[in-house]
This record gives sequence, structure tokens and C-alpha cells, in this order.
Amino acid sequence: MLELKDLENRSIYILREAYAEFKRPAVLWSTGKDSTATLWLCKKAFFGKIPFPVIHIDTTYKFKQMYAFRNNLAKEWGMNLIVARNEEAIKEGVGPKDGKFECCTSLKTQALMSCLEENRFDALILAIRRDEHGIRAKERYFSPRDEDFKWNYKDQPLEMWDQYQSTTEDKTHTRVHPILHWRELDVWEYVKQENLPVNPMYFAKDGKRYRSLGCEPCTSTIDSDAKTIEEIVEELKVTKIAERSGRAQDKEKAFTMQKLRALGYM
Amino acid sequence: MNVNVVIVGHVDHGKSTLIGRLLYDSDSITEGRVEEIQRLAEEYKRRFEFAYFLDSFDDELKEERTIDTTGVMFKGKNLYSVTDVPGHKEFIKNMLTGASHADVAVLVVAAEEGIQEQTGRHAFLIHMLGIKRLFVVINKMDAVDYREEAFQDIKNEVAQLLASFGYHHVDFIPGSAMEGDNIYKRSKRMEWYHGHTLIEALDGVKLSKQSKPLRFAVQDTYLVDSDKVIVGRVESGTLRRGDEVVFHPSEVKGKIEKIKILEGELEKAEAGDSIGIVASCEPKRGDVCGLVENPPVPTEEFLGEAVLLDNSVRKGDVVELRCGTRRVKCEIKEIQEKINSETGEVMAKYPDYISQHEAATILFATEPLVVEKFSDIPELGRFVLVQDRNIGAGVVLEVPK
Repeated sequence: MLELKDLENRSIYILREAYAEFKRPAVLWSTGKDSTATLWLCKKAFFGKIPFPVIHIDTTYKFKQMYAFRNNLAKEWGMNLIVARNEEAIKEGVGPKDGKFECCTSLKTQALMSCLEENRFDALILAIRRDEHGIRAKERYFSPRDEDFKWNYKDQPLEMWDQYQSTTEDKTHTRVHPILHWRELDVWEYVKQENLPVNPMYFAKDGKRYRSLGCEPCTSTIDSDAKTIEEIVEELKVTKIAERSGRAQDKEKAFTMQKLRALGYM
Repeated sequence: MNVNVVIVGHVDHGKSTLIGRLLYDSDSITEGRVEEIQRLAEEYKRRFEFAYFLDSFDDELKEERTIDTTGVMFKGKNLYSVTDVPGHKEFIKNMLTGASHADVAVLVVAAEEGIQEQTGRHAFLIHMLGIKRLFVVINKMDAVDYREEAFQDIKNEVAQLLASFGYHHVDFIPGSAMEGDNIYKRSKRMEWYHGHTLIEALDGVKLSKQSKPLRFAVQDTYLVDSDKVIVGRVESGTLRRGDEVVFHPSEVKGKIEKIKILEGELEKAEAGDSIGIVASCEPKRGDVCGLVENPPVPTEEFLGEAVLLDNSVRKGDVVELRCGTRRVKCEIKEIQEKINSETGEVMAKYPDYISQHEAATILFATEPLVVEKFSDIPELGRFVLVQDRNIGAGVVLEVPK
């Protein structure tokens, strides 16, 4: 078993390095289990208060339970919450009907870009993990994005012994990935150990549950009877179904995820 | 127990295929992934390859080579975090990134090709990184009809190379990742071999912690309730409440009054713990503390062995050096020996400069900082060199007392 304590120690170290190295960091929160666990790690790293803004990218297509969860926890944890939306595209009615790649790029990536620009954030903390997707397995803990917001995945920095590259000249910002080394199972065991709040959509109802949360039109359920955190942990120990199997944008075509991420998608 | 394994070796000797095989045979591939890869193989008019479980960039598939390192996990008796690294010289920095956290290395050598350029370089680099546990898989035994003599010939050749880097008594495993021989399952095609399969060898690995003196690296200071909390990580040893400590290079002494985490206070913290402390002194980011009776010693000069991955550096150049949380300006005071990173051989004594992919023993003159001999406290005995970006990495050989 991976020791949760080791995972946590490493994540806290990374968060503190990011806070020391960057002038204007922010953390991205989807309201899902990974980014909620990451906010909790921030609270641990900084002794109770998250010392930078929390960004939620609102496509307007999120499940209503996600909005409710967001509003409650933001208040309870005293977050400085920024809700980022691409208002222009929303007005024009951009949606999944325009193609998943186009919709994600417009409502997520573009909304994020404008938010970063407006607030001049130089580091963005994200809760991606290596075991989620082959493309995310290739990431660094500190991952620079160039002036066009692009991920130059063919020339990533040397990153050894917790010496993360933090220079940001000619870069829009650096992505910081404090839970890159965690697995889905570790996150749930941590949720259990730390008694963290999670969206009830993760628990099975009528034999179905959400394993990964996204926008309502592009996210589907898996067959499951796991009604508690303990049952989810047990399910994950034996499952062979991919975590993001219910996320349509990953699967539209081969390498869609790579293309989305190269453009600045999370 | 979690064991970090890095798979190294020359391009096309089968590193990604070997990991794909481990994942497949240990039943760690998610549903639909095999079919997805079959579809991709058809689209690219290729035959199905286990390597495609690892190579997820479209360029990697098109060019049929690994560009960047990939981390995957699977379970045996231990929980393995396996890192695939590229075998091309141009991607050495990605190889080092992947290998820098490894406890164990597996060197893959193709039976029909034997030692090639990156076989030597990767062996040199894992030796430099201080990875002590090494297994060698003589892969592609199917291409030499599973003959024992072919295995023995290459084994002797590789054993000689490894001995020159200080690796003696290494286990050699004849296998075929493509066909599944002796990787996860015992092969029936090499009855002359009675040793371990790769998974048996890995399952036998036990990691032990050595007891080392206390070193705590300071990351920052936060104001929490009215306490000035010094945050950082215990790099080695144990920190206890009440300890009398000294921080260098700031040269401040104090007593550990509290060890803090969000949930409250602790009596002690161990190596690896990210904590906060309240002490009767004010150190800075970059400081390292130890017990007064066994303190860290700040230095302005040390001898290191480094490999350069980018640019070239000349004698007299000033670059940034990072060790722990400390960053200093340092001068390349003297390049003592230029080393061929493929063979470990000394190419020149006291040269004026070293170029990309070359290694060297270098005398660094620096602003004051704490470094430790790599063989004593590796956590503070390794450094990276920075010129706008991370350009090299090395370990500390000697610190003058």
C-alpha cells in the first residue's frame, strides 16, 4: 500500500514550494474529489487558510448538485472563490452540440485563459493525477505553459529530486500538480481517513454512480452498488473499468485529450 | 511497500514493451484499453504492441519511440511505481527526470544487439544517481532462439561494463517482453535458466531506512495565530520537541519549542515529514538545521560530479545551483575531469569547458550553503544547475572540512 502519509507529505512540500516560488498562485477547483482533496492539502500546508484564490470554471453545464456543493463548501472553508465563465460564448449558446473538442476549448480553456489574464496569476495548482489518463502520466509537477498557453510536451523541463523548474520568463504561467503521484484509490482512502466532504453524486443510486464528475451532457454513470466511501474503496480495488470511462471528451477521437491539453485544457 | 522502479536501456531494446507486458500479465490494464490500442494499431497500420500502453503522445506512436517519461503503477508483492524512460540520447533529460526517484533500476539489453550507446550511458547515470539495486533483463531472447550461449555472451559483456561502474553480483534474467518469457511468467522455452523471473526479483526487493543525522530544510515562514511557524521538511533523521538546533548558512541557534501540523502539535517528526516548527530563532528559506552536537557545516566550495543536459559550461562561468531549498550563485572554478557519460572514461583532465551530454568532476565556488556528501546524506548531497532553466544535475563528492 502506498502510505497516505508519504503522499500527503510530498504534496504539502510541493504546495509550499509553489507558494514560495510564485508571486500570484491560484488553485483550480472542479468541486470533484481530487480538487477537493487538493484544497484540503492546501489547508494542511498553510495551517487552515488557503492563502490564494480558488477558481471554479463554470461552463453553466455542470450538474446542479455541483453548484450546491461548491457554494456550501466555499462558505464553510472560507475560500476566496473566483467563478470563471466565458460569458461571450455562453451568450452565443456554445455547447456540446458544437463538438466536444470545441465546447471544452471554448467554455473551459478560454474561460481559464481570460481568468488568468485578468488576475495575472503566474501559477495554477491543478489536481490532475498520472493514473487518470496516459497523457497526464507524462506530466511534470511544475509544468510551464508558453505565451500561447501551450504545453510544449516535446520539450519538458528536467525535474529531479524535488527541484522544480519555476522560472516563468516568456511563460504565461506554470501548472503545479501536487497530487500527480496519487492514484484514484489513494484519493478515496484519503477522503475516508480525513473525513472530507464529497459530492453525493459519487455514491450509487439505483445501481449507478458517477466515478468522475464533469459537465452534465458529457458525463455518464457507471454500474455500481457502492453507496459509501468504504464501498467505493472496495470497488476500486477490483475494478478494471477506467476512471474517466464516463467522460465523453476523452473519447471523441484518438488523441483528443492530448490536443485539448496541448492547448491549455486541464 | 511502495517500490519505485525505473526501466532503462538503449532505444528499441524493449523498455516500454517490458512495462506493457508487466501491466498486461499482472491484469492491470483497464477494460477497453486493449481494444482501443488494437484500433490505433490498425489505424497506424502496425501490429499490436505492448509499448502502446505507455506511449500516449501521437508523435510517440507515429515515430515509434518514447519521447517522455511515463509513470504507471501495478501490484505484485510490493506496489510498484514503474517509470518508463526514453532511450534516445536527445531525451536524456527526460530519462533523468524519470530515474531520479527510483529505488531500483532494470537495465534492458536486447540479446541480438548487446551493449549499445545508451546502455552504457544509462548505466553510468543510474550509478551517478546512486541507485544501488539493479537487475538486467537480456531481452528479445526469442530473436536468438532462446540459446543459453547467446545469453552468456551478452551477460559477460554487460557484467564487465557494470563492474566498471561499481555494480558487482548483478542478477541477469533472460527474457522476452514481447513473448512474455520470464517477465511476469516463467518461460518454458529456457529450461536451462533456473533464476528469478523479473517479477520474482522485484518482489524480493526490501527497502531499509538507514539512520542518519537530523537535517531539516527550511521552505518558508508563515504567521499562524501569533506564532512564526518555520515550514519545511525533515530530510534525514528525527526532529524532537526540545531539541537544540543550529541553522546554516544563517548561523542562528535555537530551541524547537513546537512541532506543528494543522491538527495540532507533535512530539517528533521523521525523515520525509512536511511540518512546521516554532523555534526561538528566525532562520530563512534555504537554511538547513541539525542538532547542535551534529550540525550541518556551511561551505563555499565543494567537489561535485555533474552531467550537463543542455548548453555548455566553461571554467569561470557563473550559474545558479539549487540544493534542498537553497539557491546560490556558483562559479565553475575548476573542471577537474571530463567524463564520457557513455563509458565513464576520463576524456580530458582540466579542460576549459564541457558540452551537452558530457559529465565532469567540477570544483564549485559558491555563496555559502549547506551540502552533504552524497554517500552520507543523499537528500542534501544532490543538486541541479540552472541557467534560465534546469540544465544539469549532480552529486556532491567531497566537502572540505
